[in-house]
Amino acid sequence: MDNKTVETISYLARLQLDKDKKEKITKDLENIINFVDELQSLDTKDVAPLSNPLEKVASKREDSITSKSRKEAFLSNSPESDQDYFIVPKVVE
Amino acid sequence: MSIRFKTLSELKKLLEKKEISSFELVSETFRNISSSKTNSFITLDEEAALSKAKDFDQGKVNGDLAGIPIAQKDLFCTKNLRTTCGSKILENFIPPYDATVVKNLSNAGSICVGKTNMDEFAMGSSNETSFYGTVRNPWSLDRVPGGSSGGSAAAVSEGLVCAATGTDTGGSIRQPAALCGITGIKPTYGRASRWGMIAFASSLDQAGTFARNAEDCALLLNHICSHDTKDTTSISDMQENYLVNLNNDLNGKTIGIIKEFDISSLNKEVQDSFEQSKKIFENLGANFVEISMPNIKLSVPTYYVVAPAECSSNLSRFDGVKYGYRAKNVENLEELYIKSRSEGFGDEVKRRILIGTYVLSAGFYDAYYKKAQQSRRMIKNDFVDAFSEVDIIMSPSSPSSAFKIGSKTEDPIEMYLEDLFTISSNLAGVPAMSIPHGFAKGLPIGLQLIGNYLEESKILNFAHQYQKNSDWHLKTPNLGESP
Repeated sequence: MDNKTVETISYLARLQLDKDKKEKITKDLENIINFVDELQSLDTKDVAPLSNPLEKVASKREDSITSKSRKEAFLSNSPESDQDYFIVPKVVE
Repeated sequence: MSIRFKTLSELKKLLEKKEISSFELVSETFRNISSSKTNSFITLDEEAALSKAKDFDQGKVNGDLAGIPIAQKDLFCTKNLRTTCGSKILENFIPPYDATVVKNLSNAGSICVGKTNMDEFAMGSSNETSFYGTVRNPWSLDRVPGGSSGGSAAAVSEGLVCAATGTDTGGSIRQPAALCGITGIKPTYGRASRWGMIAFASSLDQAGTFARNAEDCALLLNHICSHDTKDTTSISDMQENYLVNLNNDLNGKTIGIIKEFDISSLNKEVQDSFEQSKKIFENLGANFVEISMPNIKLSVPTYYVVAPAECSSNLSRFDGVKYGYRAKNVENLEELYIKSRSEGFGDEVKRRILIGTYVLSAGFYDAYYKKAQQSRRMIKNDFVDAFSEVDIIMSPSSPSSAFKIGSKTEDPIEMYLEDLFTISSNLAGVPAMSIPHGFAKGLPIGLQLIGNYLEESKILNFAHQYQKNSDWHLKTPNLGESP
């Protein structure tokens, strides 16, 4: 875990680290990765990955409208909106 | 009449006999909260709570929990009541709907008095990562209450409310229950709906509750648990009445002790309490067997791949667009994302997002994420094998009693090891609870009881019988004074 790796994953996660905290966080990440590296000692040959403890298949439902439009309720939580839209900085020229 | 430290069942009786009104009960609750020094609450809902209490007193409300004030962890969405998840990024978030668990408890007539403090996005074991300040342990104000549901645990321990909800992703109900000297239970993964719970690690997150004893937990679970079509991992099996089996005979039942959990390395008082608790169960006719769960020692490293991976994915929704904190003075959309997230999240959340991003990135996915999922299956299989031999599994809930505020914040791994005994139940998805069973260094410690899938009623039965034959759950903190 070097500075360059931390910069790459920070960008992928859309996070910017404070300059004065970068060194500490790089060291923390390195320690955590070393800690989880213990997993490499485990023989996992022929073991299927487990992504959910119940291994349930998601149930399906009919594709029908189940609730009323609550546009106003949802837009009201937005930092910036007008009557119909969420507002963000311009993305196309 | 002082209502502090009364159990849910006791308060129910007082209301039924009309020895107290719900209005008095709720008013007294807010008086106690205002003089509390633990910082257990982030947001209070006094006006609505008093109005609901009046409704109950006028006979307009029925239900199993009618008129009883309770608290909700600030991770559950509450309609029209601010829900922060302990984070700056949700400082002004007012959900337009109730979480299913919140709705269930409200339908049973309970009254939500407010939202309890917690580690930011439930990431922490000490409640020190909350943007709204550290919660203090009622048993000693310079100690942590545990986490992440630290506010809920402290509020019940201090007697502010008789019950509070929590969530448990790696121990976030059981460890604070242990450190605050109360009872807490995490049901089977999928038993309670995750709808309206702000997601941390979706394959591990589970709602549960804190109360003063196992009987109250059983009553609360009757309402917290439900099948919910809005949660695709919700279990559709028949709902149980968790009160029915509380008094089953433990004679001839088998309790497993995990060989790989090295109890001899723990503090002598923790060891002694464990031995004394074994005796209580032996006197009730239960047998102990040592069981081997060879992969359980890899629980913490497995968890610290799986949980951050899911967290990095879940928390990508916080981008400053549709809700939550938005950074000012940005020039383009990407800068809006980056600045909003960087200013809105705290350090521990950032650390976990970064670890998750790393283990999911091209070139590392197989070595870390896939490997951890394989290890997870091996841990789950250890539980399946164990439960073919034993009724329940017993261990300490945490390695020690509450530690000093600030003493573990520098080293994340030391903090992660707080959940050494609790994490494996989340990886497997089995139910588990913590009950008070002694003291170490003058502070409470907990006993963990782990059950097989959907056998909440069995661990509640063991816990209730234990509490009928011990008085640890009746101990209360001497408020404001260090032991």
